[in-house]
Amino acid sequence: MNHDPSGSVLVVGGGIAGMQAALDLADSGYRVHLVERTAAIGGAMAQLDKTFPTNDCAM
Amino acid sequence: MTLSEVTHVSGSLGNFQVTIRQKPRYVDMEKCIACGLCAEKCPKKVDDPFNAGMGKRKAAYIPYGQAVPLKYAIDPEHCIYLTRGKCRACEKFCPTGAVNFEDEERTVTVNVGAVIAAPGFRTFDPQGLDVYGYGSVRDVVTSLEYERLLASNGPHMGHLIRPSDHEEPRKIAWIQCVGSRNINRCDNPYCSGVCCMYAIKQALVTAEHLNGGEVEQAVFYMDVRSHGKEFERYYESAKEKGVRFIQARPHSISPGEKGKGAVLEYVTRDGRPVREDFDLVVLSVGLEAPGNAEDLARTLGIDLNESRFARTSGFSPVAATRPGIFVTGAFQSPKDIPQSVTEASTAACEAARALAAARGTQAREKTYPQERDVCGEKPVIGVFVCSCGINIANTVDVQAVADYARTLPHVAHVENNLFTCSADTQNLIARKIQELGLNRIVIAACTPRTHEPLFQDTLREAGLNPYLVEMANIRNQNAWVHQQDREKATEKAKDQVRMAVAKAALNEPLHRLKVNVIQRALVIGGGVAGMNAALALADQGYPVTLVEKSDRLGGNAWKLITNDAGEPVEPYLEALIRRVNEHPRIGVHTRTTLRSVTGSVGNFHGILEEGGAEKEIRFGVAVLATGARESEPAEYLYGQDPRVLTHQQFDTLLRERPEAAGQARSAVFIQCVGSREPERPYCSRVCCTHSVKAALRLKEANPEMDVYVLYRDMRTYGERERLYQEARRRGILFIQYGLDAKPHVEKDGADLFVTVTDPILGRPLKIPADYLVLAAAMVPHDTADLVEMFKCGTNADGFFTEAHPKLRPVDLSVDGLFVAGLCHYPKPMDESIAQAGAAASRAAVVLARDEMLLDAVKSFVTEKCDGCALCVDVCPYQAIRLDTVEETGRPTRRIVTDPALCKGCGLCAATCPKGGVMVHGFTLNQLEAQVEAALGKAV
Amino acid sequence: MSQTFEPVIIGFLCNWCAYAGGDLAGVSRLQYPPNMRPIRVMCSGMVHPDLVVNALRKGADGVLVMG
Repeated sequence: MNHDPSGSVLVVGGGIAGMQAALDLADSGYRVHLVERTAAIGGAMAQLDKTFPTNDCAM
Repeated sequence: MTLSEVTHVSGSLGNFQVTIRQKPRYVDMEKCIACGLCAEKCPKKVDDPFNAGMGKRKAAYIPYGQAVPLKYAIDPEHCIYLTRGKCRACEKFCPTGAVNFEDEERTVTVNVGAVIAAPGFRTFDPQGLDVYGYGSVRDVVTSLEYERLLASNGPHMGHLIRPSDHEEPRKIAWIQCVGSRNINRCDNPYCSGVCCMYAIKQALVTAEHLNGGEVEQAVFYMDVRSHGKEFERYYESAKEKGVRFIQARPHSISPGEKGKGAVLEYVTRDGRPVREDFDLVVLSVGLEAPGNAEDLARTLGIDLNESRFARTSGFSPVAATRPGIFVTGAFQSPKDIPQSVTEASTAACEAARALAAARGTQAREKTYPQERDVCGEKPVIGVFVCSCGINIANTVDVQAVADYARTLPHVAHVENNLFTCSADTQNLIARKIQELGLNRIVIAACTPRTHEPLFQDTLREAGLNPYLVEMANIRNQNAWVHQQDREKATEKAKDQVRMAVAKAALNEPLHRLKVNVIQRALVIGGGVAGMNAALALADQGYPVTLVEKSDRLGGNAWKLITNDAGEPVEPYLEALIRRVNEHPRIGVHTRTTLRSVTGSVGNFHGILEEGGAEKEIRFGVAVLATGARESEPAEYLYGQDPRVLTHQQFDTLLRERPEAAGQARSAVFIQCVGSREPERPYCSRVCCTHSVKAALRLKEANPEMDVYVLYRDMRTYGERERLYQEARRRGILFIQYGLDAKPHVEKDGADLFVTVTDPILGRPLKIPADYLVLAAAMVPHDTADLVEMFKCGTNADGFFTEAHPKLRPVDLSVDGLFVAGLCHYPKPMDESIAQAGAAASRAAVVLARDEMLLDAVKSFVTEKCDGCALCVDVCPYQAIRLDTVEETGRPTRRIVTDPALCKGCGLCAATCPKGGVMVHGFTLNQLEAQVEAALGKAV
Repeated sequence: MSQTFEPVIIGFLCNWCAYAGGDLAGVSRLQYPPNMRPIRVMCSGMVHPDLVVNALRKGADGVLVMG
């Protein structure tokens, strides 16, 4: 372990998991680089119509 | 960074150098206003990957309507200019000159302390597997395609039609386990864990997408795996609503008459061959690691497991094989949304833990200009009417609304925007505020519940107090719900704008109160979840008080031999307890309970009772990890015969007297004992895998032993499916039973027998049992006291209820409270450990700051208060007390409100007969002004 | 009462439930008559009786308090 670690974190993937990880880190004092392969974040969840068990809109 | 990929990672934990390649977008993000002209003019149509290839988009595109960032991009693989050197139509028509064909690939290097990989999954591709008919039968679609057919932003705008003739399908079949649990055809032996539930969801919502009339849904399955929280009820509701569940695997699919629909052939459980016609067949395709998993693993320097997912341990579920690299989401193993969101927080927690020393060194705080003082100024109102693309403009005549707004009192400026929420409109609003001296802003757009913070931020950036903005919700509560009546919708929108303007004129600058955050956590429960949460927070630098009601740490883990990955629990548990006990920032209190608690997030004040003595504690957040226990079965001769044991009792026996197991000739496991019954309608999630593990252990000790598992649905989800396959390979016999024909246990002389009807033979089997092991339901401990103290909630089964089942799976509905482990829902140890990390991550978001801002919407006392104190008793938060103040020389009674406790509900304001107490932002005057404006009286 | 009577209804909607429900109705595209004028409140309990009485006195045909 480096004695003088960097306060930044790289998150690979802008789906629901990547976004949540990035938000938690940014909200607790770390700088986050979020890298997404496609032209927009959102991932697979954005493609879903509704989610169970509440049938909420996935958007 | 979009359109970007990691190409190289060097360095080590704490100090990685990561090279990122960013592909050209050919559109300047700063200039693009997402007007869509480029896509409109683009002549090149491309299969739309967002709609799973159904429907088209252009080569100039946004991935989907609500994309973030909402900026167009040009697809270089299809753009006519970029492939053939001619066209540039988009460039010509772009009103802001955002199209830039000179854009080039960029390479950036960043220095980071840790990396989190969340690349997601791909769905199994059934193309070319004739057994599924995909590609050869037109009305066979994958579940992802079906999802897009249902979606309101899908290729047919949510109107469900089948591919062959665009007719509404009336009879639909789902085929489960396509690309999962199959070792013959496609090499995905694991269970994808999500398909059963999404198929049920699709079957249920299908009815809503058809224009009335009959619909028939049939799900062909192997086992229904509804092992998540509230999932079993959802499954039951589907059965009640008429969805057919058929335990069979169609062996062939052929096109229906005239190439429409499909014919399924299958064999029922009792051996009858059936041919059945369906209008549409949906293949429930499983999840696989992304196509580039190997490349990504090589770049990151981590190992994959045999299923191509990232290799992790059950004791540190998000740590990849290279220190400092964490994996989460479906790349770690196939999982559903709540689990992905949970484990995303776990990964964040692990990264934060590793870099705790550097916290705050690189974070950037946003700064705002000095707020302009608008006191004494007359209202100068700017109104911005949003078209929301076509969402509002299709129904409401936005131009007419904008024109009308100009006639309203105090209104100095009006604009209509395509997307008022876009970044460029934010800049425009800020500019107009400064140019025209606007001091109140009205946004007629969507709902303040999602977008008010954005506009408040814009006002702050323009030097205005954020509470001077008011929204008129002309989308969610107008355009979207009155689509048939343009005229009346437009009238209503005008009224809504008039109401908002009337209120805005009375808006006053409000200020948020700062309170100190007590940077200490209370963790209730000293099991594996509680200990992990405590350690994760303590490692990040926050002091933790860990409270356990029994006399030792460890909880249920003491009774387990291995986790689901086969790793021994005891050494892990002993090391964990040692670390907790020795950690300088963790105070462990066994035989201790929480007696009372007051306060709210950031500032809780509690009384602990430790061995009869009371002790005060202050804390900013609490993690509830109170656990669960194995229930005591009330059937199958439990308690009447010493050979009838629960799982935990049997594990204890195996550990203490392994020779006993070796000597037995037969053992029978009965699943779902007390679970999935009318009085306890949930699945205990852990028992199927537990039985399989125990059965395998017996077979290992004595391969000659006859081992039977009597089950209803085997729910060895995810990689656990491999254990189930191994068990069958070793000759363990699995016999299914139904709730209407439960096994019967009896004693015949000294011997114990289990009788069960074999569903394939259709005959009762009488099995001798040297041991009968019952998969007893997991039940939560009684948490009524905690619920009462914290005002949080539990579901009907007694498990704590999260703030949102998908998006906030470890937050409770009370701010500052988080949940981990079995008290949330039964789960295996790796998931409890992950959830503990997630709870710690969410808790650290609160603890990271030494002060926090309270909402400004709070009650305040006016000079009209005469101390009658009617409001004191109605306040649900005990935020009001009566005080005596010296006024003009004599003592006067007045109420005093505590903004830290006040939630702004306004019960006091509605109770007060004389306007002596009001709520900021919702004063009687403001509400009255809205009423009058609604009734047509301009104020 | 004429065939074209269009009542004006004042709706006080609690931010946390009824107003959220109203938003969800929009997301779900549930259609309903456009006669209600929604007023967002932080709790239906903050609606003072005077507001209701005055709304009716000033010409509202109905008042809905939803929470």
